[in-house]
Amino acid sequence: MTARSRGFLRDNSLSLVFGGLFLVTLVGQALAGLADYNADQVAQGLATVSLGEFVTSSTFGVDVMENWQSEYLQFFLFIYLTVWLIQVGSTESKPVGDEGKEGDKQQKVGRYADRNSPAWAKVGGWRTALYSRSLGTLMGSLFLLTWAASSIAGWAAYNSRQLADREDPVSWAGYLGEADFWNRSFQNWQSEFLAVGSMAVFSVYLRHRGSPESKAVGESHATTGSSG
Amino acid sequence: MSVMSGRRSVVAAGALALLVTGCSSTEEPEVEQVATTFEDPTGDARERCGLLVPTALEQLEQDAGAACEDAIGDLPLEGGDVARVEVWGGDAQVRLDGDTVFLTKTSTGWRVAAALCSPRPEGPYDCGVEGS
Repeated sequence: MTARSRGFLRDNSLSLVFGGLFLVTLVGQALAGLADYNADQVAQGLATVSLGEFVTSSTFGVDVMENWQSEYLQFFLFIYLTVWLIQVGSTESKPVGDEGKEGDKQQKVGRYADRNSPAWAKVGGWRTALYSRSLGTLMGSLFLLTWAASSIAGWAAYNSRQLADREDPVSWAGYLGEADFWNRSFQNWQSEFLAVGSMAVFSVYLRHRGSPESKAVGESHATTGSSG
Repeated sequence: MSVMSGRRSVVAAGALALLVTGCSSTEEPEVEQVATTFEDPTGDARERCGLLVPTALEQLEQDAGAACEDAIGDLPLEGGDVARVEVWGGDAQVRLDGDTVFLTKTSTGWRVAAALCSPRPEGPYDCGVEGS
């Protein structure tokens, strides 16, 4: 149902608040990271760097990218796996029996599209097929992009440490085989999977009044896919 | 993944790679010059010693039991032509025909952190001139 607009700020408050939190914490990461980096430099008798130099360095780049890639992997997998997999009683799951891509009528595509459906949901053919997977495709693409960026920034940071330790730098392909790359990837992935898995299970038994991430407080533990 | 988004991913990753390597390449001339000046046995001893990071200078003088200017001429710094330069962030390596030199970026520019370095089968290079 399309509700009447109550002004831009209220209509978009969730996105705006998270966007603001993202920017504030990214700046916080840059400032704290700069202070930490320069403290290490001073301890080793080396030159300190400016904020501009730090935020364009591989050290900052890999710290940012390794977190971004895992977030997009989380959403990519969550979107795709929840098409087919369910958790009885969870708000994060479809109801039992709805597994799969569902029919055109249920998905409101093609001739079942209504007046307010997006244009590409109505037209059929490749455009509807592409639009039907656009969210998962974007998340998957952003994951691959940020993972690639993480590997390149991580490679540069790794080679800097190699030289500081009087060892030879490695090629990008060589870095992909190094424990450093996989340690960075796995340590971020495991935390995302823990968070998603926890949410899927906790939402079966616990409630948070008013949140769409929770069932209604009085809803049965067995009810799947509803929100309060 | 769509073809277009895949291409954009590759282009963006390539741009980042270019940024990383491009920033390094602008530093290479100074890195190379510092390494070759330090390794030049006919060069001015005071200038060569001034290219060492303080910890390496201190260690060299302690090992030699003499001022760097008096001791550096006795070191087998053979230098030669530059074979390869690697710059990663604030660290660099210059491979010369007769030596491998490691450098670090300081507030006064690139300085020699280790020289007279020989590779070992495992682990870091074994360096004759190096800060503790």
